[in-house]
Amino acid sequence: MTVTPGALPESEAATVPPSPTPPVSDESVWRDRALGFIERYALVIVFGLTFLFFCVWPKTSSAFLSLASIRNVLADEGVSGILAIAIIVPLSCGEFDFSVGNNAGLTQVLCAWFIATQAWSPVIGVLVAIAVAAFVGLSNGNTVARIGVNSLIVTLGVSGILLGIDEKVTGGQSITVTSPGLIKLGTGYWFGIPRPTYYLAFVALGVYYMLEHTPYGRYLHSIGSNRDAARLVGLRVERYVLLAFVISGTLAGVAGVLLVARNGGGSPQVGTVADTLQALAAAYLGATAIKPGRFNVVGTLVAIFFLAFTVTGLSLAGVADWIGDVFDGAALFVAVLISTVIGRKRAGIT
Amino acid sequence: MAEPDDLDARSPAALRIEHLSKTFPGTRALRDVSFDVDPAQIHALIGGNGSGKSTLIKILAGVYRGDPGGTITVGDTELRSNQTSPEKARILGLHFVHQNPAVFLDLSVAENMAIGHGFETSRLGWIQWRRLKRRTQALLERYEIPVRPDAPLRTLRPAERAMVAIVRALQDQEGEHGGVLVLDEPTASLPRAEVVRLMGALQRFASMGQTILFVSHRLDEVLDTAATVTVLRDGQLAGTLRGQEITENRMIELIAGRAVDHVFPAMPEVRGEEVALEVRDLSGGPLRGVNLQLRRGEVLGIAGLLGSGRSELLKMIFGAYPIRSGQILIEGEEVRFRHIGEAMSAGIAYVPEDRGTEGAFLDLSLSDNVTAAMVSRYWKGFTLSNRAADLDARKSIKQFFISASSEHQKMGTLSGGNQQKVILARWLRRKPKVLLLDEPTQGVDVNARVEIYDLVREAVSGGCSALLVTSDFEELSRVADRVVVLARGRIIADLSGSDIEPSRLTELSFSPHGVAS
Repeated sequence: MTVTPGALPESEAATVPPSPTPPVSDESVWRDRALGFIERYALVIVFGLTFLFFCVWPKTSSAFLSLASIRNVLADEGVSGILAIAIIVPLSCGEFDFSVGNNAGLTQVLCAWFIATQAWSPVIGVLVAIAVAAFVGLSNGNTVARIGVNSLIVTLGVSGILLGIDEKVTGGQSITVTSPGLIKLGTGYWFGIPRPTYYLAFVALGVYYMLEHTPYGRYLHSIGSNRDAARLVGLRVERYVLLAFVISGTLAGVAGVLLVARNGGGSPQVGTVADTLQALAAAYLGATAIKPGRFNVVGTLVAIFFLAFTVTGLSLAGVADWIGDVFDGAALFVAVLISTVIGRKRAGIT
Repeated sequence: MAEPDDLDARSPAALRIEHLSKTFPGTRALRDVSFDVDPAQIHALIGGNGSGKSTLIKILAGVYRGDPGGTITVGDTELRSNQTSPEKARILGLHFVHQNPAVFLDLSVAENMAIGHGFETSRLGWIQWRRLKRRTQALLERYEIPVRPDAPLRTLRPAERAMVAIVRALQDQEGEHGGVLVLDEPTASLPRAEVVRLMGALQRFASMGQTILFVSHRLDEVLDTAATVTVLRDGQLAGTLRGQEITENRMIELIAGRAVDHVFPAMPEVRGEEVALEVRDLSGGPLRGVNLQLRRGEVLGIAGLLGSGRSELLKMIFGAYPIRSGQILIEGEEVRFRHIGEAMSAGIAYVPEDRGTEGAFLDLSLSDNVTAAMVSRYWKGFTLSNRAADLDARKSIKQFFISASSEHQKMGTLSGGNQQKVILARWLRRKPKVLLLDEPTQGVDVNARVEIYDLVREAVSGGCSALLVTSDFEELSRVADRVVVLARGRIIADLSGSDIEPSRLTELSFSPHGVAS
């Protein structure tokens, strides 16, 4: 980044065309850079400090840093991570997909039902289940983008419907899947790292590439920044928003299949609004880091593991279970607060 | 300060404005304006764009404070001009209804009345609906408005909605003729038939003793209803007309500042030059059959008042507004765009009127903003080349005289003029055939204005053609090669060369008759 001389405060900026160099002291440049760095890496630093704290705190130190504990968190967060990545795709264009949690839940139940109850081949069962999730995304996107209904309300309503379908399909009971191939995908290790972590990495890489390095990603951010302006530079806003929901639906489907592989079956108690909330918390927390003011994949990943390791640490310390929920909720609250404040600053509103 | 001689012969003024001035940094919006508004009649305040009429209304409303030295007198209460405030306006009995009154379409007439006045509640805090309804009914009867108190506002005609807003402003008034009702272009967004209804109602209110000061740019309605007309021009009082003196020609003369030229200029034959854009009989929205030709290498100005359909015309050409009928031809070939992308591929560029809501991505970087209309150019088969985009943005910063610390600076932190240059750069980089500019210098300082027009001129000499809409006729007369005047949804005049003169444009824009044969 080149800093050309002539950084003018806005009021004077245009009045003097051949801009004279204003006195920009080295000190203020350094201060700006330092502040920028802190803003970008604050979450990473806090994550590091928290991690360190649980490593040395006598109450948790022995269990926290064990291989088993870390592997456990990594494996468990495969699903939450994919859901968080899924939710940032529509968030980038300013829309909520509140149904990702329940969509994963439905996929999981359907997948188990196809394979265990209907005795379909696991490959077909998995693919059809993901297709259903993609279809739910398409339906959300169609209602939001083409008809123009508020996305939060649409997807919240759809969440309720999906939960009902879960109950109907399973009759309220868990369905056990015994397909060894599928279970192995969710439980084993490659090079000592739990397999779900690879899937998360794969999804994260794909979405990162899409959001940051393709025109489509740029379009989504433009739509999120100013929808009318985006339309007036020729973007097919409806189409792109619709596609964002299809992507989040499909990824929720992938998370759902991973749930079957992890849990060895499907249950109506798994994949709910609580998962959506966690994904939302990670997405907003992530938007305060790495690329502040913008939903980004790396920040979201940092956030998801920050939340997971902190909750693990707290539970190892013997804190009651409900603290975990409070922590997720509080993280969402604080993250939205911070990103709103930062966003206003960036837009030049003080 | 009051001159007692002939003023005392009439009844005392309901509103007296004396020596009112207002200075903004760099300009004087009002210069020593004094006039009286007589009680129980309709007094019109008219003037061209930038004549100072809205500044005057804003001082009365307390949005601005005037320069010291003047006074505003309502009845027998005098207020110094530098001490105005919304609170004092209310105490003085000045009641305002603005152009788009804040009425609540989903609430009933009675509820609309209660908002701003307060709901009548019982001691327990419940709304006493019956009392509210009775009071609303009484108000509606008193002002003879034919609607029911429980009708939702959405079901009312536009003129009736405006009447409800007016009665809401007047409801707290004690007695028959206290205070002054100030209406700021109440008819600007109303269709013709509705204007007649509303003006009829206003005349009835005046005959009941209500003093009304209203701002308008529709001379025919002023002619029909106003007992007195005050004309402002360039921030000064241009004249006051009473009774028989009020004629259309006199008003236009005072607005434009010179005698009326009765003969409309003949529409010049289109010379045998290449036509970049042609519009044939275009209708839709407020437009009713617009014909125009934009020649290659020309800046064609469109003069028109707010609501004349000038913005809609540009949006229709850009494929961003529905067309009812008519044709658009680019270089002789008819086009019908299904979406904006097609218009862009055909070589059309559009700089929208409202930079904040339709142009700028405030939280994105300057580089993102400059490249927004051609993102796919940076797609290198596998990734988007941010480096190439940033490099181009840096070139644009130089080429378009944008003052910014770097191409990464956030759009929202740039000044208005620089934001506008960024948006201009966004479009000119595409090398458009036709550049549509809607108020490109709104909220832009003088230097940036000059730079923007230099850039437009440069693009035009490079073979582009520009269609320019601006409310600033002074600017239009200096920048445009040719100007067409749009009024009542039609092109009523076509001027070029020395005929393009701000006063002439004002005069034609206000002319209610269209082309004289």
